[in-house]
Amino acid sequence: MSFNIPDDRRYLESHEWTEERDGTVRVGITDFAQDELGDVVFVELPDIGDDLDAEAAFGVVESIKAVSDLYAPIGGEVTAINETLFDAPELVNDDPYGEGWMIELDADGSLDDLLTPEEYEEQIE
Amino acid sequence: MTDRYHQAGGTPFAPHTEAETAAMLDAIGAESEVDLFDIPESVAFDGEFGIDARTEREIREECGRLFGENDDLVEFLGRNHHGHYVPSLVDHLADRQEFLTSYTQYQPEITQGFLQALFEYQSILAEVTGLGVPNASMYDAATALGEAATLAARLRQVDGTRVLVPELLCPGRRSVLDNYVAGTDLVVETYPTADANVDVDALADAADDDTVMIYAENPTVRGTIEEHLADIGRIADDAGALFCLGSDPVALAILEEPASVGADVVVGDASVLGMPTSYGMGLGLFVTREEFIRQVPGRLVGVSTDDAGNRAYTLTLQTREQHIRRERATSNICTNQAWVALRTAIHAAMLGASGLVDLAETCVREAEALAADLDSIDGIDAPIHDRHHFREFVARTDRRAAAVRDDLLEAGFAVHVVGDHEVQVCVTERTERRTDDLVAAFEEAAR
Amino acid sequence: MTDDREPTMTGYDQARWIDGDEPRYEPLLSEKDETTVEVGGDDGPLPDDLTRDDLTLPELSEPELARHYTRLSQMNYGIESGPYPLGSCTMKYNPKFTEDVAALPGAAVHPDRPDGTLQGTLELMAHLQDYLARIGGMDEVSLQPPAGAAGEFVGILVAKAYHEHNDEGHRSEVIVPDSAHGTNFATAALAGYDVIEVPSAEDGRVDLDALEAAASEDTAAFMLTNPNTLGLFERNIEAVAEIVHGVGGLLYYDGANLNALLGRARPGDMGFDVMHYNVHKTFATPHGGGGPGAGPVGVVEKLAPFLPAPRVRERDDGFERFDPEYTIGKVHGFEGNWLVLVKAFAYIARLGDDGLRDASAKAVLNANYLAERIGYEVPHGPFHHEFVASAGDQDAADVAKRMLDYGVHPPTTKWPDIVSEALMTEPTEIESRDSLDDLAAAFEAVREEDDETLAAAPDRTTARRIDQTEAARNPRLSWHDLAD
Repeated sequence: MSFNIPDDRRYLESHEWTEERDGTVRVGITDFAQDELGDVVFVELPDIGDDLDAEAAFGVVESIKAVSDLYAPIGGEVTAINETLFDAPELVNDDPYGEGWMIELDADGSLDDLLTPEEYEEQIE
Repeated sequence: MTDRYHQAGGTPFAPHTEAETAAMLDAIGAESEVDLFDIPESVAFDGEFGIDARTEREIREECGRLFGENDDLVEFLGRNHHGHYVPSLVDHLADRQEFLTSYTQYQPEITQGFLQALFEYQSILAEVTGLGVPNASMYDAATALGEAATLAARLRQVDGTRVLVPELLCPGRRSVLDNYVAGTDLVVETYPTADANVDVDALADAADDDTVMIYAENPTVRGTIEEHLADIGRIADDAGALFCLGSDPVALAILEEPASVGADVVVGDASVLGMPTSYGMGLGLFVTREEFIRQVPGRLVGVSTDDAGNRAYTLTLQTREQHIRRERATSNICTNQAWVALRTAIHAAMLGASGLVDLAETCVREAEALAADLDSIDGIDAPIHDRHHFREFVARTDRRAAAVRDDLLEAGFAVHVVGDHEVQVCVTERTERRTDDLVAAFEEAAR
Repeated sequence: MTDDREPTMTGYDQARWIDGDEPRYEPLLSEKDETTVEVGGDDGPLPDDLTRDDLTLPELSEPELARHYTRLSQMNYGIESGPYPLGSCTMKYNPKFTEDVAALPGAAVHPDRPDGTLQGTLELMAHLQDYLARIGGMDEVSLQPPAGAAGEFVGILVAKAYHEHNDEGHRSEVIVPDSAHGTNFATAALAGYDVIEVPSAEDGRVDLDALEAAASEDTAAFMLTNPNTLGLFERNIEAVAEIVHGVGGLLYYDGANLNALLGRARPGDMGFDVMHYNVHKTFATPHGGGGPGAGPVGVVEKLAPFLPAPRVRERDDGFERFDPEYTIGKVHGFEGNWLVLVKAFAYIARLGDDGLRDASAKAVLNANYLAERIGYEVPHGPFHHEFVASAGDQDAADVAKRMLDYGVHPPTTKWPDIVSEALMTEPTEIESRDSLDDLAAAFEAVREEDDETLAAAPDRTTARRIDQTEAARNPRLSWHDLAD
């Protein structure tokens, strides 16, 4: 089975993706992660304004068979959260890289140390 | 006894004849049953337990003799364990093997019946408490209180370390609570009571930002009806703490609705319906608000749809539980009290709204009438608390309470001793016919 | 190996009422009636400010209720409905006479009575403490924990109190094998310990090197099930005990699988310091649709002073309750699930030494016979009272759903996950050879079916496959939630 791994993003071993967007960094979980979890039924996200440390757990994604913590790829302040997920958690399954995004950060560092798409693909093989 | 199925020395509950055992061993390719065990000799047990097998009839006689050694007393006892009359229908329906002998509903397609019964149990709890998230049971009231404290510790909505409980809390309940918070950073502290109700001013002083939960009971362990529930709710709210209320479904049939006074969690003993006095065996009721649903301990029965489009019931939100979330589960509970919950639901349905209200009003009237009768006896003041009472009350005795209790035991009645000169008396519809006899016995014992 | 007989059907879908072509199910009580009663007012015994306004509940007559619950029961599968080979759950027949014993007049007493008026109850408890101690090879037993997980909690709290008493309160870790029951992890966490998971060795047993690496002066206890969840006896148990005791830790026995060892081996003889018994598994008290059970705890002498209060002992003038010297206090408001304990006592008395030994023999015989009759691979052995087969390329959860169509209860699935697509199967001693052949036929029928059939199963049950996602995304937990 092959999973979608967009070229324009960086990845974490814990299956989050990051995307640079006009000064902020958007974070979500990968296609592989949503497939492993199965139907997502609940997403818990931080509040806007929360300061996150890199690698700290910032939220929870829950499916009918598992609960996973979400880890911050990088430190920074939360500038936006995807509130649509509270009522429509299925977006994480349907469109993990698009409408299923989770938070945006005012990042205080660079994404260069994160996994490249190739490195991430190797990891999930 | 020996027959084709029950060879001498065998268990009567295995259906193997000797020939079948031999054929099965043959199919496996083993010489004997013993060969199937892979136990190193150094730890194998070749001794005897010294437990003699008895026949069914012998055991019934033996236990009948044992229980016959319990004194035949009319129990005017309560204090967190109450026996109401349980209709025969409850026993007969709950004892159907499909209910009694089934396992947890992990295969919901063949356990719709039990799931529906538990859903109905949850619904009854939601009705009497006014709160939206009832679980499918905890062990008893004390463990439900412990679970409420750990819920408070987990919630993001509240923070702090202090759990405040009334100084009148039963020692057993307090001890269980202490053990449940042993693994958290919570500290349990008591707040004062006034005339067996919450001392509201003292509680307001005690509560602060570091308080995560305030626990109060209605009725209290001394049988008084709490008059300050709304104040307690307000104090908890101001402190940013959960208000946890201890009660039971009979009392809640008429007393103030917990949701209306700001309760966030309701715990207590639901087995006041469905179970007779059972040496303290209970049923922990646990109900909380929607916003805490993902931190609730224990099993939840929810509604869904099956592939044929019909409504169907199923255990839900199981990722909270130990079999999936392990050390991060909301509780370690697995086996619960499901069958008792079934009994409670049947009993509640049998009473219906009017029967339940009637029963609860009887608990008020009988307690107040019995207290008045005892109060008319020289050497007894009853009730000593100037409150309304539910099921039970405390009386002051001029004689030492233990001496009064002992004389009452001689006369065939059991009451609690709760102080050097204080006894507690509980009366329900089960004992109301014997109150005249109790009063007569008190007249003798009070002297 | 296959069997040529047809799978048998049981009639647990009899509760369906056929209304035209449509099945119709038993409505909720609230759909039959809702009656609202005003509370308080002039006739009420309490002032209005102490009461609620009204109460709304269904009101039905006794015959209506009898039918309601009988129909619900017909939509439920019990141990007398057919085989129930749920691994790790020990679903035995629950002898009827034990119900009658628990219902004897005189059993229904209040725990706050003085000891002198409760001699029969206390004597039975003393006997049961003694029986359990003998069966487990333990010195002392507490009957208080109301379930297995509560027994685990007591065991770990006792270990904690023991270490603290010996000025070793720094011990902060409990070690648990990866194949352990989820309750072990949750219990250790509830008691405030860090949980250290150790992987199993290739052979499915404890990896001694991994245990040695995990064990340290921070170890409070190691929790182990034996035979383990694969049904394998931990042959290195003495070495395990040496490692754990060597670092000053205690060895905890999870009694979930004790049925395999009755009269064959005792935890106390293997070096375990503390254990719980699951009386609703090993001693045939009914599971009650999820409970109540009871989880008594046995300990070696040095841990006895820490057991919950009260315990029961015999004195010259009769039986009495007492608080152990350094008791951890209580884990139940009173003294546990008394009526369940009465049933366990009656069961043990019925079997006696020989019957208990025969129960483990037949349980192990049945598991081995059944495994022999099915084609699914069983990767680990020699197993005892249960085995874990792999569904191979099939989805184990789908296999289970399809087995429902063949009129049997399926095994526990997808756990332990050290076997892929696990089918954890425990037939217990109560199944006859014929019944095991029927069960094997159901396994074999499903094994030969395609994924599509499995994914569409079940179709002969009261409810078809239930949408778990819908239930979790939109939790509706009472009939009040159905109105919207």
